Amino acid sequence: MVFIVGVIVLIAVNIIVLSVNSRRYSSFGLERVAISFISPFQELVTRTIGFTKDIWHHYFALVTIAKENNKLIRLLNQASEKSNLWQETELANARLRNLLDFQKNITELAVAAEVIARDPSAWFKTVIIDKGQADGLTKGLPVVMPQGIAGQVIEVAQHYSKVMLILDRNSAVDSLVQRTRARGVLKGESTDQLRLAYVLRKKDVQVGDIVVSSGLDGIYPKGLRIGMVSEVIEHEADIFHEVFIAPFVDFEKLEEVLVILDVQKHNIVSRK
Amino acid sequence: MSYFFNISVCLFLVILQTTVMPNLPLLDSFYDLLIPFVVFLGLSRPVRESLPFVFFLGFIMDNLSGSPFGLYITAYFWLFIGVKGITKLLQVGNRLFIIALIVAAGVLLENLIFLGTLTILGPDQQLAGNAAQTVTIQVLWAIWTGPVVFLVLRDLQKRLDAGFKAVYARKDDS
Repeated sequence: MVFIVGVIVLIAVNIIVLSVNSRRYSSFGLERVAISFISPFQELVTRTIGFTKDIWHHYFALVTIAKENNKLIRLLNQASEKSNLWQETELANARLRNLLDFQKNITELAVAAEVIARDPSAWFKTVIIDKGQADGLTKGLPVVMPQGIAGQVIEVAQHYSKVMLILDRNSAVDSLVQRTRARGVLKGESTDQLRLAYVLRKKDVQVGDIVVSSGLDGIYPKGLRIGMVSEVIEHEADIFHEVFIAPFVDFEKLEEVLVILDVQKHNIVSRK
Repeated sequence: MSYFFNISVCLFLVILQTTVMPNLPLLDSFYDLLIPFVVFLGLSRPVRESLPFVFFLGFIMDNLSGSPFGLYITAYFWLFIGVKGITKLLQVGNRLFIIALIVAAGVLLENLIFLGTLTILGPDQQLAGNAAQTVTIQVLWAIWTGPVVFLVLRDLQKRLDAGFKAVYARKDDS
Protein backbone atom coordinates (compact mmCIF):
# COMPACT_ATOMS: atom_id res chain seq x y z
CA MET A 1 0.00 0.00 0.00
CA VAL A 2 2.79 2.44 1.00
CA PHE A 3 4.63 1.48 -2.19
CA ILE A 4 1.61 2.29 -4.40
CA VAL A 5 1.02 5.62 -2.64
CA GLY A 6 4.73 6.39 -3.02
CA VAL A 7 4.60 5.71 -6.78
CA ILE A 8 1.46 7.85 -7.20
CA VAL A 9 3.07 10.74 -5.28
CA LEU A 10 6.23 10.39 -7.39
CA ILE A 11 4.22 10.49 -10.64
CA ALA A 12 2.26 13.54 -9.42
CA VAL A 13 5.47 15.38 -8.46
CA ASN A 14 7.00 14.44 -11.81
CA ILE A 15 4.02 15.78 -13.78
CA ILE A 16 4.02 19.04 -11.78
CA VAL A 17 7.77 19.56 -12.34
CA LEU A 18 7.40 18.84 -16.07
CA SER A 19 4.41 21.20 -16.38
CA VAL A 20 6.38 24.00 -14.71
CA ASN A 21 9.48 23.37 -16.84
CA SER A 22 7.45 23.12 -20.06
CA ARG A 23 6.65 26.81 -19.80
CA ARG A 24 10.29 27.93 -19.75
CA TYR A 25 13.64 26.82 -21.06
CA SER A 26 15.88 26.58 -18.08
CA SER A 27 17.92 24.05 -16.18
CA PHE A 28 19.03 26.57 -13.59
CA GLY A 29 22.28 27.57 -15.34
CA LEU A 30 23.62 24.02 -15.40
CA GLU A 31 22.99 23.73 -19.14
CA ARG A 32 26.22 25.60 -19.80
CA VAL A 33 28.21 22.93 -17.98
CA ALA A 34 26.59 20.11 -19.96
CA ILE A 35 26.96 21.85 -23.34
CA SER A 36 30.57 22.83 -22.57
CA PHE A 37 31.31 19.25 -21.53
CA ILE A 38 29.83 17.46 -24.56
CA SER A 39 30.21 20.02 -27.37
CA PRO A 40 34.03 19.83 -27.78
CA PHE A 41 33.64 16.11 -28.54
CA GLN A 42 30.74 16.83 -30.90
CA GLU A 43 32.85 19.48 -32.61
CA LEU A 44 35.74 17.04 -32.98
CA VAL A 45 33.50 14.34 -34.53
CA THR A 46 31.74 16.84 -36.83
CA ARG A 47 35.06 18.21 -38.05
CA THR A 48 36.35 14.66 -38.60
CA ILE A 49 33.22 13.85 -40.63
CA GLY A 50 33.68 17.08 -42.59
CA PHE A 51 37.34 16.25 -43.19
CA THR A 52 36.46 12.75 -44.42
CA LYS A 53 33.75 14.18 -46.67
CA ASP A 54 36.30 16.65 -48.06
CA ILE A 55 38.76 13.83 -48.84
CA TRP A 56 35.97 11.92 -50.56
CA HIS A 57 34.87 14.90 -52.60
CA HIS A 58 38.34 16.17 -53.48
CA TYR A 59 40.30 13.02 -54.12
CA PHE A 60 37.99 10.12 -54.89
CA ALA A 61 35.67 12.12 -57.09
CA LEU A 62 38.53 13.34 -59.30
CA VAL A 63 37.20 11.57 -62.38
CA THR A 64 33.90 13.39 -62.24
CA ILE A 65 35.67 16.61 -61.45
CA ALA A 66 37.93 16.32 -64.52
CA LYS A 67 34.87 16.26 -66.78
CA GLU A 68 33.27 19.02 -64.82
CA ASN A 69 36.50 20.99 -65.08
CA ASN A 70 36.34 21.13 -68.87
CA LYS A 71 32.76 22.30 -68.69
CA LEU A 72 33.63 24.90 -66.07
CA ILE A 73 36.53 26.29 -68.12
CA ARG A 74 34.08 26.94 -70.92
CA LEU A 75 31.66 28.59 -68.51
CA LEU A 76 34.52 30.59 -66.98
CA ASN A 77 35.38 32.11 -70.32
CA GLN A 78 31.80 33.21 -70.74
CA ALA A 79 31.74 34.47 -67.16
CA SER A 80 34.92 36.48 -67.68
CA GLU A 81 33.18 38.48 -70.37
CA LYS A 82 30.27 39.15 -68.07
CA SER A 83 32.66 39.94 -65.25
CA ASN A 84 34.19 42.78 -67.23
CA LEU A 85 30.76 44.32 -67.58
CA TRP A 86 29.97 43.81 -63.91
CA GLN A 87 33.26 45.32 -62.81
CA GLU A 88 32.20 48.52 -64.42
CA THR A 89 28.84 48.31 -62.67
CA GLU A 90 30.55 47.54 -59.36
CA LEU A 91 32.73 50.61 -59.61
CA ALA A 92 29.67 52.69 -60.29
CA ASN A 93 27.92 51.00 -57.38
CA ALA A 94 30.84 51.76 -55.04
CA ARG A 95 30.74 55.41 -55.98
CA LEU A 96 26.99 55.55 -55.38
CA ARG A 97 27.33 53.78 -52.02
CA ASN A 98 29.88 56.31 -50.90
CA LEU A 99 27.50 59.03 -51.90
CA LEU A 100 24.75 57.45 -49.83
CA ASP A 101 27.13 57.09 -46.84
CA PHE A 102 26.57 53.33 -46.68
CA GLN A 103 28.97 52.58 -43.86
CA LYS A 104 28.43 48.99 -42.87
CA ASN A 105 27.08 45.83 -44.36
CA ILE A 106 25.55 42.73 -42.78
CA THR A 107 28.83 40.79 -42.57
CA GLU A 108 30.17 43.29 -40.06
CA LEU A 109 27.15 42.82 -37.82
CA ALA A 110 27.03 39.05 -37.92
CA VAL A 111 29.10 36.12 -36.73
CA ALA A 112 29.48 33.03 -38.91
CA ALA A 113 29.12 29.75 -37.02
CA GLU A 114 29.29 26.08 -37.85
CA VAL A 115 26.61 23.58 -36.87
CA ILE A 116 28.34 20.89 -34.82
CA ALA A 117 25.41 18.81 -33.50
CA ARG A 118 21.70 18.25 -33.89
CA ASP A 119 18.88 17.57 -31.45
CA PRO A 120 18.88 13.95 -30.24
CA SER A 121 15.06 13.94 -30.19
CA ALA A 122 12.81 13.65 -33.23
CA TRP A 123 10.22 15.93 -31.58
CA PHE A 124 12.37 19.02 -31.09
CA LYS A 125 14.43 20.88 -33.68
CA THR A 126 17.54 22.48 -32.24
CA VAL A 127 21.21 22.54 -33.24
CA ILE A 128 24.44 23.35 -31.40
CA ILE A 129 26.79 25.89 -33.04
CA ASP A 130 30.48 26.50 -32.37
CA LYS A 131 30.18 30.13 -31.25
CA GLY A 132 29.20 31.35 -27.80
CA GLN A 133 29.46 34.11 -25.24
CA ALA A 134 33.15 34.64 -26.07
CA ASP A 135 32.12 35.60 -29.63
CA GLY A 136 29.50 38.07 -28.46
CA LEU A 137 26.46 35.82 -28.67
CA THR A 138 23.56 36.25 -26.26
CA LYS A 139 20.22 34.54 -25.76
CA GLY A 140 17.54 35.57 -28.28
CA LEU A 141 19.78 36.58 -31.20
CA PRO A 142 18.44 35.69 -34.66
CA VAL A 143 20.23 33.07 -36.74
CA VAL A 144 20.02 33.38 -40.53
CA MET A 145 21.27 31.83 -43.75
CA PRO A 146 21.69 33.49 -47.14
CA GLN A 147 18.41 31.76 -48.13
CA GLY A 148 16.42 33.01 -45.13
CA ILE A 149 15.76 32.77 -41.41
CA ALA A 150 17.06 29.66 -39.62
CA GLY A 151 16.18 30.20 -35.96
CA GLN A 152 17.20 31.91 -32.73
CA VAL A 153 19.77 31.39 -29.99
CA ILE A 154 18.15 29.89 -26.87
CA GLU A 155 21.14 28.87 -24.72
CA VAL A 156 24.65 30.30 -24.62
CA ALA A 157 27.77 28.66 -23.17
CA GLN A 158 31.29 30.12 -23.32
CA HIS A 159 32.18 28.77 -26.79
CA TYR A 160 28.97 27.03 -27.89
CA SER A 161 25.29 27.90 -28.24
CA LYS A 162 22.02 26.09 -28.72
CA VAL A 163 19.83 27.36 -31.57
CA MET A 164 16.11 26.64 -31.84
CA LEU A 165 15.23 26.28 -35.52
CA ILE A 166 12.04 27.85 -36.89
CA LEU A 167 10.83 24.28 -37.55
CA ASP A 168 10.60 23.63 -33.79
CA ARG A 169 7.14 23.45 -32.28
CA ASN A 170 8.04 26.19 -29.78
CA SER A 171 9.20 28.63 -32.44
CA ALA A 172 7.09 31.60 -33.54
CA VAL A 173 8.03 34.34 -36.01
CA ASP A 174 5.87 37.41 -36.67
CA SER A 175 5.59 37.40 -40.47
CA LEU A 176 4.11 39.08 -43.50
CA VAL A 177 3.03 37.79 -46.87
CA GLN A 178 5.30 39.92 -49.06
CA ARG A 179 2.78 40.55 -51.87
CA THR A 180 -0.32 41.49 -49.85
CA ARG A 181 1.27 42.40 -46.46
CA ALA A 182 -1.12 39.96 -44.74
CA ARG A 183 0.21 39.41 -41.24
CA GLY A 184 0.45 36.15 -39.31
CA VAL A 185 2.52 34.16 -36.86
CA LEU A 186 4.76 31.53 -38.38
CA LYS A 187 4.87 28.42 -36.24
CA GLY A 188 7.05 25.34 -36.39
CA GLU A 189 5.47 21.93 -36.77
CA SER A 190 8.59 19.81 -36.11
CA THR A 191 8.23 18.64 -39.73
CA ASP A 192 9.66 20.06 -42.98
CA GLN A 193 6.76 22.53 -43.21
CA LEU A 194 5.80 25.65 -41.28
CA ARG A 195 2.32 26.96 -40.54
CA LEU A 196 1.32 30.60 -40.86
CA ALA A 197 -1.31 31.07 -38.18
CA TYR A 198 -3.83 33.87 -37.59
CA VAL A 199 -4.01 35.10 -41.20
CA LEU A 200 -7.49 36.56 -41.64
CA ARG A 201 -9.64 34.99 -44.36
CA LYS A 202 -10.35 38.38 -45.88
CA LYS A 203 -6.62 38.71 -46.65
CA ASP A 204 -5.41 37.44 -50.01
CA VAL A 205 -2.91 34.60 -49.74
CA GLN A 206 -2.01 32.36 -52.66
CA VAL A 207 0.27 29.40 -53.27
CA GLY A 208 3.68 30.71 -54.35
CA ASP A 209 3.53 33.90 -52.26
CA ILE A 210 6.74 34.70 -50.39
CA VAL A 211 6.66 35.13 -46.63
CA VAL A 212 9.08 37.53 -44.90
CA SER A 213 9.68 38.53 -41.28
CA SER A 214 7.71 41.56 -40.09
CA GLY A 215 10.28 42.64 -37.49
CA LEU A 216 7.48 43.17 -34.96
CA ASP A 217 8.52 40.30 -32.68
CA GLY A 218 11.69 42.17 -31.73
CA ILE A 219 13.86 39.18 -32.55
CA TYR A 220 14.17 38.89 -36.31
CA PRO A 221 15.04 41.89 -38.50
CA LYS A 222 12.31 43.08 -40.84
CA GLY A 223 12.14 41.79 -44.41
CA LEU A 224 14.17 38.58 -44.12
CA ARG A 225 12.88 35.82 -46.38
CA ILE A 226 11.42 32.77 -44.67
CA GLY A 227 9.64 30.60 -47.21
CA MET A 228 7.01 30.20 -49.88
CA VAL A 229 3.30 29.43 -49.43
CA SER A 230 2.84 25.78 -50.38
CA GLU A 231 -0.80 25.22 -49.42
CA VAL A 232 -3.79 27.35 -48.42
CA ILE A 233 -6.80 25.68 -46.81
CA GLU A 234 -9.99 27.61 -46.15
CA HIS A 235 -12.44 26.29 -43.59
CA GLU A 236 -16.05 27.48 -43.80
CA ALA A 237 -16.40 27.99 -40.06
CA ASP A 238 -13.02 29.57 -39.42
CA ILE A 239 -12.09 33.24 -39.57
CA PHE A 240 -8.46 32.40 -40.37
CA HIS A 241 -6.76 30.82 -43.38
CA GLU A 242 -4.80 27.64 -42.76
CA VAL A 243 -1.54 28.41 -44.56
CA PHE A 244 1.43 26.09 -44.93
CA ILE A 245 4.89 27.36 -45.82
CA ALA A 246 7.85 25.55 -47.37
CA PRO A 247 10.97 27.17 -45.85
CA PHE A 248 13.73 28.43 -48.15
CA VAL A 249 16.44 27.09 -45.86
CA ASP A 250 17.24 23.41 -46.34
CA PHE A 251 17.43 22.34 -42.70
CA GLU A 252 18.65 18.86 -43.62
CA LYS A 253 21.82 20.39 -45.01
CA LEU A 254 22.34 23.08 -42.41
CA GLU A 255 26.11 23.40 -41.93
CA GLU A 256 27.00 27.07 -41.56
CA VAL A 257 24.82 29.88 -40.22
CA LEU A 258 25.08 33.60 -39.49
CA VAL A 259 24.14 35.00 -36.09
CA ILE A 260 23.02 38.64 -36.30
CA LEU A 261 24.57 40.42 -33.33
CA ASP A 262 22.80 43.74 -33.48
CA VAL A 263 19.26 43.58 -34.83
CA GLN A 264 18.54 47.31 -34.37
CA LYS A 265 21.67 48.28 -36.26
CA HIS A 266 20.89 45.75 -38.96
CA ASN A 267 17.44 47.23 -39.41
CA ILE A 268 18.89 50.73 -39.73
CA VAL A 269 21.51 49.61 -42.25
CA SER A 270 18.87 47.69 -44.26
CA ARG A 271 16.69 50.79 -44.40
CA LYS A 272 19.64 52.89 -45.61
CA MET B 1 36.01 1.08 -13.44
CA SER B 2 32.30 0.75 -14.24
CA TYR B 3 31.98 4.54 -13.96
CA PHE B 4 34.68 4.86 -16.60
CA PHE B 5 32.77 2.39 -18.79
CA ASN B 6 29.43 4.15 -18.22
CA ILE B 7 30.79 7.63 -18.97
CA SER B 8 32.62 6.39 -22.10
CA VAL B 9 29.52 4.64 -23.44
CA CYS B 10 27.35 7.67 -22.62
CA LEU B 11 29.73 10.02 -24.45
CA PHE B 12 30.01 7.70 -27.42
CA LEU B 13 26.25 7.19 -27.81
CA VAL B 14 25.37 10.88 -27.31
CA ILE B 15 27.95 12.00 -29.88
CA LEU B 16 26.91 9.25 -32.29
CA GLN B 17 23.28 10.29 -32.25
CA THR B 18 23.85 14.05 -32.36
CA THR B 19 26.63 14.25 -34.96
CA VAL B 20 26.89 11.06 -37.04
CA MET B 21 23.35 9.71 -37.31
CA PRO B 22 21.62 12.91 -38.50
CA ASN B 23 23.93 12.73 -41.55
CA LEU B 24 22.78 9.23 -42.47
CA PRO B 25 19.52 9.43 -44.44
CA LEU B 26 18.12 6.05 -43.34
CA LEU B 27 18.78 6.64 -39.67
CA ASP B 28 17.24 10.10 -39.24
CA SER B 29 14.17 8.57 -37.55
CA PHE B 30 16.20 6.27 -35.33
CA TYR B 31 15.22 5.78 -31.70
CA ASP B 32 17.16 7.15 -28.73
CA LEU B 33 20.24 4.93 -28.44
CA LEU B 34 20.52 5.61 -24.73
CA ILE B 35 17.36 3.53 -24.14
CA PRO B 36 19.16 0.18 -24.61
CA PHE B 37 21.88 1.58 -22.34
CA VAL B 38 19.35 2.39 -19.60
CA VAL B 39 17.87 -1.12 -20.09
CA PHE B 40 21.39 -2.54 -19.78
CA LEU B 41 21.97 -0.57 -16.56
CA GLY B 42 18.61 -1.76 -15.20
CA LEU B 43 19.24 -5.41 -16.03
CA SER B 44 22.96 -5.76 -15.35
CA ARG B 45 24.05 -3.20 -12.75
CA PRO B 46 23.05 -2.58 -9.13
CA VAL B 47 20.67 0.30 -8.34
CA ARG B 48 23.26 2.10 -6.16
CA GLU B 49 25.63 2.33 -9.10
CA SER B 50 23.21 2.85 -11.99
CA LEU B 51 20.48 5.18 -10.65
CA PRO B 52 22.75 8.27 -10.27
CA PHE B 53 24.02 7.54 -13.74
CA VAL B 54 20.47 7.37 -15.16
CA PHE B 55 19.90 10.89 -13.81
CA PHE B 56 23.24 12.02 -15.26
CA LEU B 57 22.25 10.65 -18.69
CA GLY B 58 18.89 12.42 -18.49
CA PHE B 59 20.56 15.66 -17.45
CA ILE B 60 23.02 15.59 -20.37
CA MET B 61 20.29 14.80 -22.90
CA ASP B 62 17.93 17.44 -21.49
CA ASN B 63 20.61 20.06 -22.00
CA LEU B 64 21.57 19.01 -25.51
CA SER B 65 17.97 18.81 -26.69
CA GLY B 66 15.43 21.56 -27.22
CA SER B 67 13.01 19.72 -24.95
CA PRO B 68 11.79 21.26 -21.68
CA PHE B 69 14.23 20.45 -18.89
CA GLY B 70 13.37 17.21 -17.09
CA LEU B 71 11.84 15.31 -19.99
CA TYR B 72 14.74 12.94 -20.58
CA ILE B 73 15.36 12.55 -16.83
CA THR B 74 11.68 11.55 -16.45
CA ALA B 75 11.79 9.11 -19.38
CA TYR B 76 15.02 7.40 -18.27
CA PHE B 77 13.99 7.27 -14.60
CA TRP B 78 10.63 5.56 -15.28
CA LEU B 79 12.21 3.25 -17.84
CA PHE B 80 14.82 2.25 -15.27
CA ILE B 81 12.13 1.66 -12.62
CA GLY B 82 10.12 -0.36 -15.17
CA VAL B 83 13.12 -2.53 -16.07
CA LYS B 84 13.87 -3.16 -12.39
CA GLY B 85 10.19 -4.11 -11.92
CA ILE B 86 10.30 -6.52 -14.86
CA THR B 87 13.38 -8.28 -13.48
CA LYS B 88 11.39 -8.98 -10.31
CA LEU B 89 8.64 -10.67 -12.35
CA LEU B 90 10.57 -12.26 -15.22
CA GLN B 91 13.86 -14.07 -15.63
CA VAL B 92 15.28 -12.08 -18.56
CA GLY B 93 18.76 -13.67 -18.78
CA ASN B 94 19.82 -14.14 -22.38
CA ARG B 95 16.35 -14.23 -23.91
CA LEU B 96 16.73 -11.86 -26.83
CA PHE B 97 13.01 -11.72 -27.54
CA ILE B 98 12.27 -10.32 -24.08
CA ILE B 99 15.16 -7.84 -24.35
CA ALA B 100 13.81 -6.69 -27.74
CA LEU B 101 10.37 -6.20 -26.19
CA ILE B 102 11.79 -4.26 -23.23
CA VAL B 103 13.79 -1.91 -25.50
CA ALA B 104 10.75 -1.41 -27.77
CA ALA B 105 8.58 -0.72 -24.71
CA GLY B 106 11.23 1.78 -23.55
CA VAL B 107 11.08 3.58 -26.90
CA LEU B 108 7.30 3.64 -26.68
CA LEU B 109 7.39 4.96 -23.10
CA GLU B 110 9.85 7.74 -23.97
CA ASN B 111 7.75 8.81 -26.96
CA LEU B 112 4.56 8.76 -24.88
CA ILE B 113 6.16 11.02 -22.27
CA PHE B 114 7.39 13.38 -25.01
CA LEU B 115 4.04 13.47 -26.79
CA GLY B 116 2.21 13.99 -23.50
CA THR B 117 4.41 17.00 -22.77
CA LEU B 118 3.96 18.36 -26.31
CA THR B 119 0.21 18.10 -25.82
CA ILE B 120 0.51 20.08 -22.57
CA LEU B 121 2.52 22.72 -24.47
CA GLY B 122 -0.19 23.04 -27.12
CA PRO B 123 -2.57 20.50 -28.65
CA ASP B 124 -1.98 19.91 -32.35
CA GLN B 125 -4.18 17.90 -34.71
CA GLN B 126 -1.33 17.19 -37.09
CA LEU B 127 0.83 15.81 -34.30
CA ALA B 128 -1.14 12.55 -34.05
CA GLY B 129 -0.52 11.59 -37.69
CA ASN B 130 3.18 12.45 -37.63
CA ALA B 131 3.62 10.83 -34.23
CA ALA B 132 2.09 7.50 -35.25
CA GLN B 133 4.50 7.20 -38.18
CA THR B 134 7.60 8.28 -36.26
CA VAL B 135 6.85 6.09 -33.23
CA THR B 136 6.15 3.03 -35.42
CA ILE B 137 9.46 3.44 -37.26
CA GLN B 138 11.34 3.90 -33.99
CA VAL B 139 9.71 0.85 -32.35
CA LEU B 140 10.50 -1.33 -35.39
CA TRP B 141 14.11 -0.17 -35.34
CA ALA B 142 14.24 -0.87 -31.60
CA ILE B 143 12.92 -4.43 -32.00
CA TRP B 144 15.56 -5.24 -34.61
CA THR B 145 18.58 -3.45 -33.24
CA GLY B 146 17.84 -3.00 -29.50
CA PRO B 147 19.03 -6.48 -28.44
CA VAL B 148 22.19 -6.06 -30.57
CA VAL B 149 23.12 -2.80 -28.83
CA PHE B 150 22.32 -4.41 -25.47
CA LEU B 151 24.50 -7.48 -26.18
CA VAL B 152 27.38 -5.34 -27.45
CA LEU B 153 27.25 -3.28 -24.24
CA ARG B 154 27.17 -6.40 -22.06
CA ASP B 155 30.05 -7.97 -23.97
CA LEU B 156 32.12 -4.79 -23.71
CA GLN B 157 31.48 -4.59 -19.97
CA LYS B 158 32.55 -8.23 -19.52
CA ARG B 159 35.74 -7.72 -21.54
CA LEU B 160 36.58 -4.57 -19.62
CA ASP B 161 35.99 -6.32 -16.28
CA ALA B 162 38.20 -9.25 -17.36
CA GLY B 163 40.90 -6.88 -18.61
CA PHE B 164 41.02 -4.91 -15.37
CA LYS B 165 41.03 -8.12 -13.30
CA ALA B 166 44.01 -9.42 -15.31
CA VAL B 167 45.89 -6.14 -14.79
CA TYR B 168 45.24 -6.19 -11.03
CA ALA B 169 46.24 -9.90 -10.81
CA ARG B 170 49.54 -9.14 -12.56
CA LYS B 171 50.20 -6.23 -10.19
CA ASP B 172 49.47 -8.46 -7.16
CA ASP B 173 51.83 -11.17 -8.49
CA SER B 174 54.67 -8.74 -8.98
